[in-house]
Amino acid sequence: MQWSELEREVIRCIRCGACQSVCPVFREMRAESTVARGKISLIRAVIRGEVDAAGPAFAERMSWCLMCRACQESCPSGVNLGELMLAARRKLAEDNGLPLLKRLIFRLGLRNRRLFELGMGLGAIFQGLLLRPAPGGGGMLPRLPMGLDRRRLVSPVVARPFRARVPARVDAAGARGTVALFTGCMINYVYPRIGEAVVAVLTRNGFNVVIPAGQHCCGTPVYVNGDVPTAVELARATVDAFADLDADAVITACGSCGAALRKEYGPLLANEPGYAEKVARLAAKTRDFAEFLAAAGLTSAMKGLAATVTYHDSCHLARSQGVRGQPRELIAAVPGLTFTELKAPARCCGAAGSFSLSHYGLSRKINDHKVDDIAAGGADIVATGCPMCLMHIRDGMNQRGVGGEVLHTAELLARAYGEEGI
Amino acid sequence: MAAIKGIVGAENVLEAYEDRYCYTYDASAVTAGREGTPALVVYPGSAAEVSALLVLANAHKIPVIPRGAGSNVSGGSIPRAGAMVMVLTRMNRIVIIDRRNMIAEAEAGVITADFQAEVEKLGLFYPPDPASKAFSTLGGNVAECAGGPRGAKYGVTRDYVLGLEAVLPTGEIVKTGARTMKCVAGYDLTRLITGSEGTLAVVTKVIVKLLPLPEAKKTLLAVFADMDRAAETVSQVFMAGVVPTTLELLDNIYIRNIEEYVHIGLPVDAEAVLLIEVDGDPAVLDKQAGIIARICREQGATEVKVARDAKEADELWVARRAAFAAMSRVRPTVIGEDCTVPRDRIPEMVRAIRAIAAKYDIIIAVLGHAGDGNLHATILTDERDREEMARVEQAAAEIFTATLAMDGTLTGEHGIGLVKKKYLPLEMGEGGMMAMRAIKRALDPNNILNPDLI
Ligand SMILES: Cc1cc2nc3c(=O)[nH]c(=O)nc-3n(C[C@H](O)[C@H](O)[C@H](O)COP(=O)(O)OP(=O)(O)OC[C@H]3O[C@@H](n4cnc5c(N)ncnc54)[C@H](O)[C@@H]3O)c2cc1C
Repeated sequence: MQWSELEREVIRCIRCGACQSVCPVFREMRAESTVARGKISLIRAVIRGEVDAAGPAFAERMSWCLMCRACQESCPSGVNLGELMLAARRKLAEDNGLPLLKRLIFRLGLRNRRLFELGMGLGAIFQGLLLRPAPGGGGMLPRLPMGLDRRRLVSPVVARPFRARVPARVDAAGARGTVALFTGCMINYVYPRIGEAVVAVLTRNGFNVVIPAGQHCCGTPVYVNGDVPTAVELARATVDAFADLDADAVITACGSCGAALRKEYGPLLANEPGYAEKVARLAAKTRDFAEFLAAAGLTSAMKGLAATVTYHDSCHLARSQGVRGQPRELIAAVPGLTFTELKAPARCCGAAGSFSLSHYGLSRKINDHKVDDIAAGGADIVATGCPMCLMHIRDGMNQRGVGGEVLHTAELLARAYGEEGI
Repeated sequence: MAAIKGIVGAENVLEAYEDRYCYTYDASAVTAGREGTPALVVYPGSAAEVSALLVLANAHKIPVIPRGAGSNVSGGSIPRAGAMVMVLTRMNRIVIIDRRNMIAEAEAGVITADFQAEVEKLGLFYPPDPASKAFSTLGGNVAECAGGPRGAKYGVTRDYVLGLEAVLPTGEIVKTGARTMKCVAGYDLTRLITGSEGTLAVVTKVIVKLLPLPEAKKTLLAVFADMDRAAETVSQVFMAGVVPTTLELLDNIYIRNIEEYVHIGLPVDAEAVLLIEVDGDPAVLDKQAGIIARICREQGATEVKVARDAKEADELWVARRAAFAAMSRVRPTVIGEDCTVPRDRIPEMVRAIRAIAAKYDIIIAVLGHAGDGNLHATILTDERDREEMARVEQAAAEIFTATLAMDGTLTGEHGIGLVKKKYLPLEMGEGGMMAMRAIKRALDPNNILNPDLI
């Protein structure tokens, strides 16, 4: 790719500055170079030869984006900043290469499912993510003292991943349909309980759940960092594992995974012969857990839950997949529960996948606003549809001493059904 | 540099070229580019810091460009090489909202919409509502004397500014006006600074008057098959004794492109629509809306719709605010002119704009805060096409001449900036220009504050 190929998109930005009112990064950093208008100007400047794309300063500015797509949603000119950021990061990765650590994880780990599972099993990868290459390439340094920030609540990688715990197929009594579950890494390796809750709630409501064994990472973590070759491999693996399954729907319970299957695979696999049709079929079949369940309707009665619950919109669930009303509908259906809205439910929580590792301080500051809103709202439980948001919000509440639980929508419903251990 | 960091703190100075480069533009089509990249960008936190920075800049003759959100469309915050861009957004405290006296005082970097939301919580109302209010700053509004759709009834920023705290280019901190409704002590420096486009002083605090929040409003959409009829309707409404809060005129190009962005069912085949709002006591709103609807029909409106509820009305206003930027869907470069004529000459002005567009074979869409005679002739073009840009330039010049011939003004709210600088003498005359230069010299002897604007 050449930078000049982006000109058609960047020139659509008329610099009105509307993105300033919604960008979570700009809100913290204030510098024009951190908001969409600034980043686009920098890409324009690269095309004009006024800024050097090979320099570290440019790459750093391109990294200051959560991919939350709030600017895109509010851009009157319809500039697709998300795609521009992906394209820029891809070009940077092509030209400059990925940092050693990311290369190690993406290329060696993620491309090889067995090795990856082994690594995750040993809990090595997540600790690995917290290391950074030492300046000058001399080796690895911990990003934070002790490997982890002592205050940071990181959910450890579980000893037995979700897919090792559940059978490949769980049948519902008197089933009305069958769905396939795409688990994603966070659920598989970190929060197997969310997976268990998804299976429990779906089977209670009359759906058999199959969990195909050949599945792996959706590719988002590598895609957003510009490693397109690895992302293509992962996307192909997912499409191969799911597109031709005999299931009514493919269910995701992670905002980012769902967005990848539905939105990103099209452009990502555009040049892969024979994939266009399969990609379209998978995209058409994929549904977020809450979206699917709300449409299918609850058939099994819940016991109820006496709690005040609020809901955080994951960027990739709300803005990328348009799922906003359905989880609220399901939550409100729980007997005995009081639902309250956050002040700004769709404002990014700052997690943004690996952004929260590479820009931890900034991502914490962004998260503080979310935690403030949660504290002001006074709910007992914050529900959300994305495990990444869940981890980051839990961490923030813990660090700020704000009480309350954070649960996936599926966990909340499972609890309302009286499921053991959830 | 060390001295500057000493004043504001190192964390409030941007030095990296890539960061500085992002201050070479604003929302106008003008950019300074690599050659005009400022030497540094500073974010002062108080009037005292602004003062210290200006004293330093004055001593070293460093040009200073004040900046809020950089949303102006006149090239008013474009720097030059070696300049210091002074961004006021760190100064974003609302000092007081005083219900008993119905005034408020806020720092220059407060975002307009945030300020409005806070006063409205107390049942108060700050009317100036530029379409950019979600991101523009109060300081920028004062510097440009911003207007907005509600101007038809409520006027512009100037009409609400009671006093200012501002820092002169030589560093003196001055307080103008007072927290009172009237004040005739000394020259009216408040008005002098308001609308001075950051050439006379850096505004650090604004004292504004507030109104009671209107109890209710009603929004109407009148659809016309003929532009002339729509334009004629504007003054007819006022002549019937009704003063709408807002009266906006949109042509077919605008209607189609806004609809493409918001999908709320605007009539894409209409030649023109009037978007009208009345506010106040709910008891009289229906009557006023009835009068307006009748006049629109008499003038030939094919349909008059009244928004059923607040949500429907809101949709229309969100659509309206998106109008300008939505135009970039047609052509990548959007130049919003800002000519304003006496209200009864709107039909004539619209005809003139359309004739000029035809003559130079360019696309000019028309949208207007028609209620106050302010027409945004919007030129849709492509800055990369030099030949077309030359025609655009000629067309703009002709629009300006036509405006002045109709007793109008070159700019109703966007400001002169760099964009219209060369046309200003046409309106001000030699004497006017001389007076302005004398004032500028007196307050800014070294010409450091936004020096390229005048
Ligand atoms: C989509 C869109 C819609 C718009 N709609 C309207 C509208 O309806 N009505 C309208 O009037 N305008 C409108 N504008 C123009 C613009 O938003 C206004 O001019 C606004 O007042 C600029 O505020 P700002 O904070 O962005 O100032 P900036 O653009 O940063 O600065 C504007 C000028 O003021 C000076 N300045 C800024 N802050 C200070 C300060 N504290 N002290 C001294 N000088 C200062 C700058 O040097 C510059 O000359 C619109 C712009 C856009 C992009």
